[in-house]
Amino acid sequence: MKIIFDQSAIDLSLNGKNYKAVLDNKTVDVEVIHSENGKVDLLIDGKHIIAYVSSDGAKRWVTVDGRTFGLNKSLNAKQRNVSHEHASELVAPMPGQVRSVNVKENEMVSKGQTLLVLEAMKMEIRIQAPRDGIVKELMVKVGQTVEREQILVKMENG
Amino acid sequence: MFSKILIANRGEIAIRIMRACKELGIQTVAVYSEADRNAPHVQFADEAILIGDSSPNESYLNIDKIIDAGRRTNAEAIHPGYGFLSENASFAAAVDSAKLTFIGPSADSIRAMGDKAQSKIRMKRAGVPTVPGIEGIESLAEFKRAAKEIDYPVLVKAAAGGGGKGMRVVNTDSEMSESLEAARREASNAFGDDRLLIEKYLSDAHHIEFQVLGDQHGNLVHLFERECSVQRRHQKIIEESPSLLLTPKLRKEMGEAAVAGAKAVGYFNAGTVEFIVDPVAMKYYFLEMNTRLQVEHPITEFVVGLDLVQWQIRIAVGEKFPFTQKDFSQRGHAIECRVYAEDPANGFLPSTGKLLQYIEPRGPNIRVDSGFTAGNEVTHFYDPLLAKLIVYGENREVAIQRMQSALKGYVVHGVITNIDFLQDVLAHNDFKRGDVSTRWVETKFNWKPSEPSFESLIAAAIADQTIINRQSSITNSNGPDPFSPWKNPSGFRN
Repeated sequence: MKIIFDQSAIDLSLNGKNYKAVLDNKTVDVEVIHSENGKVDLLIDGKHIIAYVSSDGAKRWVTVDGRTFGLNKSLNAKQRNVSHEHASELVAPMPGQVRSVNVKENEMVSKGQTLLVLEAMKMEIRIQAPRDGIVKELMVKVGQTVEREQILVKMENG
Repeated sequence: MFSKILIANRGEIAIRIMRACKELGIQTVAVYSEADRNAPHVQFADEAILIGDSSPNESYLNIDKIIDAGRRTNAEAIHPGYGFLSENASFAAAVDSAKLTFIGPSADSIRAMGDKAQSKIRMKRAGVPTVPGIEGIESLAEFKRAAKEIDYPVLVKAAAGGGGKGMRVVNTDSEMSESLEAARREASNAFGDDRLLIEKYLSDAHHIEFQVLGDQHGNLVHLFERECSVQRRHQKIIEESPSLLLTPKLRKEMGEAAVAGAKAVGYFNAGTVEFIVDPVAMKYYFLEMNTRLQVEHPITEFVVGLDLVQWQIRIAVGEKFPFTQKDFSQRGHAIECRVYAEDPANGFLPSTGKLLQYIEPRGPNIRVDSGFTAGNEVTHFYDPLLAKLIVYGENREVAIQRMQSALKGYVVHGVITNIDFLQDVLAHNDFKRGDVSTRWVETKFNWKPSEPSFESLIAAAIADQTIINRQSSITNSNGPDPFSPWKNPSGFRN
């Protein structure tokens, strides 16, 4: 059984009552002492590990020894590559409201230039051009409420 | 004593104030917005009144609705907490006119200190050192001229402001226009007042503030300092008391200046006089006075052993202090970490979502003031503060170790938090030496999140195999906890 989180593939197989896990060419023996809602209690090669794990769709939250990591589970080994070389879409990093739109369509912009400003949680968030280019399409207006991941601006390389 | 108090706030501070009320045998009234229907502060109160939509202007900033809720529930007093209406003189005046008691200073004191330009002038007159700067200018040209005069970098900030809002550091002439505009807009949104002032930006300074407490009979004491130099975006993230930087002589001088400044505006109730301290010249300057309870008040409570919120209530009732300045001393060391729903790897952008897991640390001398529980939604409407983690130790080293251990026991899933970031600040040598200025985070602390550990990846895979995968084959309609990330609790070995 292969489980893939982001760039890491973990091979799990049953080995008697325990699991054999292989990650980055390292093989360990895993004994599951206890597993319950959101928490697993393990012996990894004899070392006691308590891990808090939550799932939200493909997303995993894992806390071990006070460190929390966000992982994304892949459904198959092929990773989709969504980033394009010549075009890019700038999305809202969080829900909020569009305070100002500082550019027009077809305008040339330079890397780091503020394209528009969002307001969320009483703060201003500047959406800046990731590289030099042309504003192809403005997808939002001033005053509009936007959701997380909503496309704000489509850009094209200059 | 009052028999019923309305708390005009939300989150952790509303709960903290209700605790003090309960200890004093006072009934509590919560107010809440649509977004906070299921919030812990609503459940914790004896009564709760829905005051409006989620947007703060429709609810927590709406003076009429809050006073109306106070009248309807026969509350005798209103505690404003911090933020929202806490430093709004019109609110304090409106509470008075409604024949309710405002738990805080007089509307006049709030007005005098609320205007950052006016307060600077008053403090100069009272003999308190202030930061070089210019007040009362408006046009871009005037700001540019002023900046040249006091020399870049400069700080433009809201005259009516506080809490890091409506504030911009300007490094060069060319940045002035955009920064002024942004600061004006933020100031106007946050305080309804877009006047700005300009002052010298001391780039390597410490932020050290003094807690003051006055009764309504002319007695005013200070309760020593809080070192608040670990900041991001002009907002504090770690505070401690005492400060490693202050000598006994400087501490005494600054304490006396804080008391003199507060007395100059006839101050009573709890307040905080903020200073910036130049660590090389060992000089201090008045920054502003916050005329309210401060977020970081618990570290003072640990070190001086006084319950500040109880005293706020006692002062409002009219009680006279049974103590004087010489009754107070600093004992041990306290540290507070602010646990924010934000992403330190991505410009500290707030993170929203449902709390899939939320586990707070416990132990001796560990205090958690929080406003969330598992299943709650962290929305974009309000400040992203999840909780404050406060620890006490016999000395700084013990307190740091206790904080590190407590943070390890904190589990938050569903939103990104700054917990790992806080942990790495505490472990840094500069922090251990107390060598951290207000710009340390942005200029020196080059933080990167760590890669997922080997153990975490193995554990996630095991959890997937033993719990999550089983969920899909089982109907998930009868789980005992509607917020549980997994509906099937069966262990692997069963």
